[in-house]
Amino acid sequence: MIIKLTDVNKTYPGAVPLHVLKDINLEIRRGELVSIMGASGSGKSTLLNILGILDNYDSGEYLLDGVEIKDLSENRAAELRNKMIGFVFQSFNLISYKTALENVALPLFYQGVGRKKRNLMAMEQLERMGLADRATHLPGELSGGQKQRVAIARSIVTNPSLILADEPTGALDSHTSKEVMEVFRQLNSDGMTVVIVTHDPGVGAATDRIIRIVDGEIAHGNV
Amino acid sequence: MFDLIREIAQTLRNNRLRTILTGLAVAWGIFMLIVLLGASKGVMQSFEHNSSEMGSNNSMTIFGGRTSKPYKGYKEGRWISLKNSDIDKIEHDNREIVSKVISYASENTNISTPRDFVSEGFDAVYPDAIKTNNLGQMKYGRFINDRDMEERRRVMVLASTHARMLFPTEEEAVGGVVTSMGLAWTVIGVYEHPWRSGNYVPYTTYKAITGNTDEAYKLDVTVEGLKTEADGIAAENAIRQTLARSHEFDPEDQNSLWVWNKFVDYLTTRAGLGYLDLAVWVIGIFTLLSGIVGISNIMFVSVRERTHEIGIRRAIGAKPRNILTQILLESVVITTIFGYIGVVFGTAVLQLISAFVPEMAYVAVDLNLAFKVTVALIVAGCVAGLFPALKAIKVKPVEALRDE
Repeated sequence: MIIKLTDVNKTYPGAVPLHVLKDINLEIRRGELVSIMGASGSGKSTLLNILGILDNYDSGEYLLDGVEIKDLSENRAAELRNKMIGFVFQSFNLISYKTALENVALPLFYQGVGRKKRNLMAMEQLERMGLADRATHLPGELSGGQKQRVAIARSIVTNPSLILADEPTGALDSHTSKEVMEVFRQLNSDGMTVVIVTHDPGVGAATDRIIRIVDGEIAHGNV
Repeated sequence: MFDLIREIAQTLRNNRLRTILTGLAVAWGIFMLIVLLGASKGVMQSFEHNSSEMGSNNSMTIFGGRTSKPYKGYKEGRWISLKNSDIDKIEHDNREIVSKVISYASENTNISTPRDFVSEGFDAVYPDAIKTNNLGQMKYGRFINDRDMEERRRVMVLASTHARMLFPTEEEAVGGVVTSMGLAWTVIGVYEHPWRSGNYVPYTTYKAITGNTDEAYKLDVTVEGLKTEADGIAAENAIRQTLARSHEFDPEDQNSLWVWNKFVDYLTTRAGLGYLDLAVWVIGIFTLLSGIVGISNIMFVSVRERTHEIGIRRAIGAKPRNILTQILLESVVITTIFGYIGVVFGTAVLQLISAFVPEMAYVAVDLNLAFKVTVALIVAGCVAGLFPALKAIKVKPVEALRDE
């Protein structure tokens, strides 16, 4: 089991406290390709942030690849994110003044991998994405699909346990979206666990399992 | 570490204009600091140099005056003239503070050759005047020696400027004959000094000519072990007391003796220069401080602008420490690089000043100052970067990522 959530609750404090996640129980097995779907405000982004150790939860238990994720220090959280999770974002989140290769190599920089070695490893992932010839280009010189493939290369360069993608096709046209989904499917068939948060039914349909969230609760009767 | 420097270089290159503008504030601050400090140091050093040329910061020159108060039955208006016996008395009564007393005399007279004459006159001195007057090495010939004193030879040492006027060349002056006080004197040496131009004859010879009285003309008292201005004034008063006993005048009567207390003068001037130095540091530090505030400000803007980027870095595994180090180092790099530009320009300006303005020839930057400035720059950079960096790591990765 790569992800195991037990009775996870999250409330945003405020004048009117917002109970966004209510007793979430969720299991995702290694090697699955899963989508989390829900309307905006349903709590799916909060769930993704918790899964990605970007946010804390109030009660319950979260095991990521057997490691309990609870009240971690920023340092430990950063370390786990770096080693266990690859992020793919809707807006790509590439650093604009770094070349494709440097962007892909950045997570390795924070692991303390030497320059030569990390450039080699990054190049390998770019090749895998079919972007070897774009290695020295800046993100601004790439198309949306190419940018997302660079971001995917960055997410897998550390060989994480899990890829978390937040609306990875949200900024792409339908043709490019299909290409990107094909990349995720390919990664999945190579054995990678992929979790995609989306509101696009087409994307959901391209995954093996859909988890629906409605008003902070997991809706049963999965497709 | 090298990777981190590369990372910082890339960030700074990416924000070139901002980096340069920020840096200029620091460069200017350091430039001002260096120039001001160099100038004040120059003033200090030229003062020290002048006082060492003058010979003795630890001496007093004493000559007799005229009493202005009646004392022990004597009327006021009596001339006090120092005697050779006073030398022993001063040395004996003030053993702890006086290391040496010598007497000398000055004669205002013409010195002439068939070629020309000078009206500078001469000083009648002991052989060690070459040291106490700091004349350095003789340029030609020799200075007065003990044999001259014993035999009361009529010999004279000339300043180079006078030698050139009285003889065709300075070299030919040695062995030549000059006339002064109606007598012929043999020139035995020529010296050169930046501003001294006195001529010297043996004290004993002069005494023999003027009648061999016990009169001591002027006394030069070398003092030792004095530290403060109060010490200097106490020493002066002690010597006054001794001479007041010997000559029976009121020790409170300032007119009966003229004392030029060079030690106290030296301390007073040096204390004044110390304040100048302090003032310059204060001005310089505040100028630098405004540069640092500038950097800090810009780093805040930079951190704000890069919130999203910092969010990305955090998401892919940068620890707070990584972010903190990067921002601090950026700040230190800007401060140090531009600080050094300021140091280089400041030094260049100081060199130009010392090359073209003779009065400021001692203006200089020393290594010690450069080291202090380096440390100050690194500390300044850290301080300037610290608060923005702390702010940067306080933002949660989720919030930082949301910031577009």
